[in-house]
Amino acid sequence: MKLNVKIGKVQFKNPVTVASGTFGYIEKYCSPSKISQLGAIVPKTVTLNLREGNPSPRIVETPSGMINAIGIENQGIDNFLSEKLPKLTKFKIPVILSISANTDKEFVTLAKKVNNAKGICAIELNLSCPNLKKKQLVAQDAKATYRLVKAVKKVCKKPVIAKLTPNVTNIVEIAQAAKKAGADAVSLVNTFAAMAIDIKNRKPVLGNIVGGLSGPAIKPIALKMVYDIYRETKMPIIAMGGIMTNDDALEFLIAGASMVAVGTASFVNPNASIEILSGIKKYMKKNKIKDIKQLIGSIRT
Amino acid sequence: MLRNQKRYKVISNKKVCANFFRLSLNAKFLLKKIKPGQFVHLRVSDGLKPFFRRPFSVFRAQKSLEILYEVVGDGTQILSKKKRNSSIDCLGPLGTPFSMPPKGIKQVVMVAGGVGVAPFLLLTDKLKNKGYDLILLYGGRTRGHVFSFKEFQQNGCKVFVSTDDGSIGVKGRVSKLFTKINLAKPTFIYTCGPKPMMASVQAFAKKNKIKGQASLEEVMACGVGTCLGCSTKTKHGYKTVCHDGPVFDLDEVIFQGGA
Repeated sequence: MKLNVKIGKVQFKNPVTVASGTFGYIEKYCSPSKISQLGAIVPKTVTLNLREGNPSPRIVETPSGMINAIGIENQGIDNFLSEKLPKLTKFKIPVILSISANTDKEFVTLAKKVNNAKGICAIELNLSCPNLKKKQLVAQDAKATYRLVKAVKKVCKKPVIAKLTPNVTNIVEIAQAAKKAGADAVSLVNTFAAMAIDIKNRKPVLGNIVGGLSGPAIKPIALKMVYDIYRETKMPIIAMGGIMTNDDALEFLIAGASMVAVGTASFVNPNASIEILSGIKKYMKKNKIKDIKQLIGSIRT
Repeated sequence: MLRNQKRYKVISNKKVCANFFRLSLNAKFLLKKIKPGQFVHLRVSDGLKPFFRRPFSVFRAQKSLEILYEVVGDGTQILSKKKRNSSIDCLGPLGTPFSMPPKGIKQVVMVAGGVGVAPFLLLTDKLKNKGYDLILLYGGRTRGHVFSFKEFQQNGCKVFVSTDDGSIGVKGRVSKLFTKINLAKPTFIYTCGPKPMMASVQAFAKKNKIKGQASLEEVMACGVGTCLGCSTKTKHGYKTVCHDGPVFDLDEVIFQGGA
């Protein structure tokens, strides 16, 4: 059974990965042999300098999901490369690094820093974090997306993946801009802009007032966006958005995703990504599918 | 991908006062591992409602793993309906435990608000017969929010109670009981409960130059330090309650609108 998929020049042994911000390697708790089974790992988004993150509360539970406004708390790229990356590369699976910045120039600086980092196989441009108090996200503007992806592609030796926001009128247009600028793939969806209010004191629940909705509540919407982009662009897609089970993951693959990223589900069931991988294998065996590529985009309409 | 995710059978799940339940799990795996102040992260329903797991301090770990909880929302409501022999998906032990009192300490004071008393029975199991004067100052809203403290007394702990309505113990806030502390003795304080209460403990400790620790509670998603959702402000920046905590040094925590 062939499970390998390709994005740019990079081969992944299987299509299951984790969504940025939902996988942290905690030595105390994690089982290394299980992590090594994944197709890739995507650590939490890294910025040029340290970011403290947003005031608490940062998360709230919602029906079939959660809203978060973490604010990309991280130690900055230099600390990541020297302290965190060595711990991740020992699993001997590709690391896709998610990066975010305030300007095109900062994105380019980050991409250059990553160029020589061993173990990082691709860069995911987080053009779509809703929690940074910006009026407009890069991925809400086709021109800005084109300009930024183009600038990063110019300096970056590794495949570039543009992570898109669902908070747009026409996501296909943004994906097309990314493709035209040379993006090797797109990943979608980031969270949906959302909020919750405490009716006892009429205050927003989150310290940041607003946040991003994730979890199974958003899955059908994310799936439709993946379907639309695959149909229109045929470009490689890393799909995420409420994937809880192997059935969810299979839907995304059939809609056209080359890879699936398990995110919020891991908070509830830390073993979700591994269970999803074995569920995909079982499905392929049962349906006599020898190569995962036969499944990708195989929707019968 | 976590080593310590397991399913345990419910041995019993009983109401122990008007608002509190005591859950007992057949979790032999955890009994020797768990340290006072650590917690377990329970998936109270295998479905999507509620979506998150729920974190609970471990109350006791003798023949079974015991949890003391108050029914406050959807999650604890569902938990309170769990029957004997049903099973619960559990992550644990998680979090950083209480540290033991430093050398020279003669008096250990635990200040608890409501169900915040939960981590202290396991703590007294550990600290009993070691020569400390053990004191529990226990505040609740009403009699229905005060759990029978007999087991604390069996561990040689002196218990003083206050309630907001005076239905049991002294009427008023638990800070009224601070006079029970013998300030002439080298003292260490542990506290767990609502933030304003812990802030008052922090102020009292600071004024009297007493060291101590606080066990915090926050809404958690992952429970293992990954999502950074439960972060709380400390003197050393944001720290995760689930992984860096739930136990912090008392003078490190910044209680919002606090002391």
